[in-house]
Amino acid sequence: MGPKKETKEASASAKKKDTSAATTTATASAKKPTKPTGSATTATKVVTKERKEKVKSTALKAKQRVVRGNQLTRKRKIRTKPRFRRPFTLRLQRQPKYPRRSVPKRNRLDHFAIIKYPLTTESAMKKIEDNNTLVFIVNIRANKPLIRQAVKKMYDVDAEKVNTLIRPDGEKKAYVRLKADHDALDVANRIGII
Amino acid sequence: MTRVKCSKLRGKKPDELQKQLEELRQELNTLRVGKVTGSGGAQKLGKIRNVRKSIARVLIVMHQTTKENLRALYHGKKYKPKDLRKRKTRAIRRLLTPKEKSIRLKKSQRRQWAFPQRTYAVKA
Repeated sequence: MGPKKETKEASASAKKKDTSAATTTATASAKKPTKPTGSATTATKVVTKERKEKVKSTALKAKQRVVRGNQLTRKRKIRTKPRFRRPFTLRLQRQPKYPRRSVPKRNRLDHFAIIKYPLTTESAMKKIEDNNTLVFIVNIRANKPLIRQAVKKMYDVDAEKVNTLIRPDGEKKAYVRLKADHDALDVANRIGII
Repeated sequence: MTRVKCSKLRGKKPDELQKQLEELRQELNTLRVGKVTGSGGAQKLGKIRNVRKSIARVLIVMHQTTKENLRALYHGKKYKPKDLRKRKTRAIRRLLTPKEKSIRLKKSQRRQWAFPQRTYAVKA
């Protein structure tokens, strides 16, 4: 890009020089354009204009050089590896003009939906007394961490661990062992399962 | 518990509705526990259905009001969320708009103007 621009500039300035040269020859004697301005007053107007152009073009070239560095030709990169990998390019974040959904989907698996009901079978009762655990029938799509959170939210108890299994009739059963500082019996009374 | 009515619900504020929803769901939970433990008679069991439907009503009202408000918000805007746009059918949505269909070449337009369809009447 550099050399091209330069030549364009040069040709432009050359063209200007030609036109102004024509006018100078018309008005005064054939003067060299680079002569200082302190010359014949009759042709000062044209000469100074010429000089201005020349000065401007050289100044511009100098500025370009300064801005671009001394090499106006592109330097080739040295590639030390045979593989070419795509360089990092600009990746903009999305700025959507409209949300695709007007209302975000509501969470269908909230803690009310996770815990369906507690079990009150004999073996479940045994678990409450002996092992400090509560037994729940739970939404089949719930996992152990979700069950733990749900129990915490609904009954205000911390679980030591949660074991789950899927019954043959398709429901999920969760054994929630409570932490030592909670008593499963009390909690069961509170819930209503006695 | 008295039946929850939609007309009563529509006047309420969103956080009030949210609270009512939570209350109803808690109630449903306790009823379900009661069902399993065998406490309460047929009355309690019958209540389960009412509570479920009440929850549904609250959710309906909540959803309807939010949708209404959003439609008002996006009214007249160029870009609306897709669920607020007209649904019609997929094919109809992809058809040319009436404006696009009526585009004619300048040449055609001039020709139509210069040589319209003439109707003649036969003199009896």
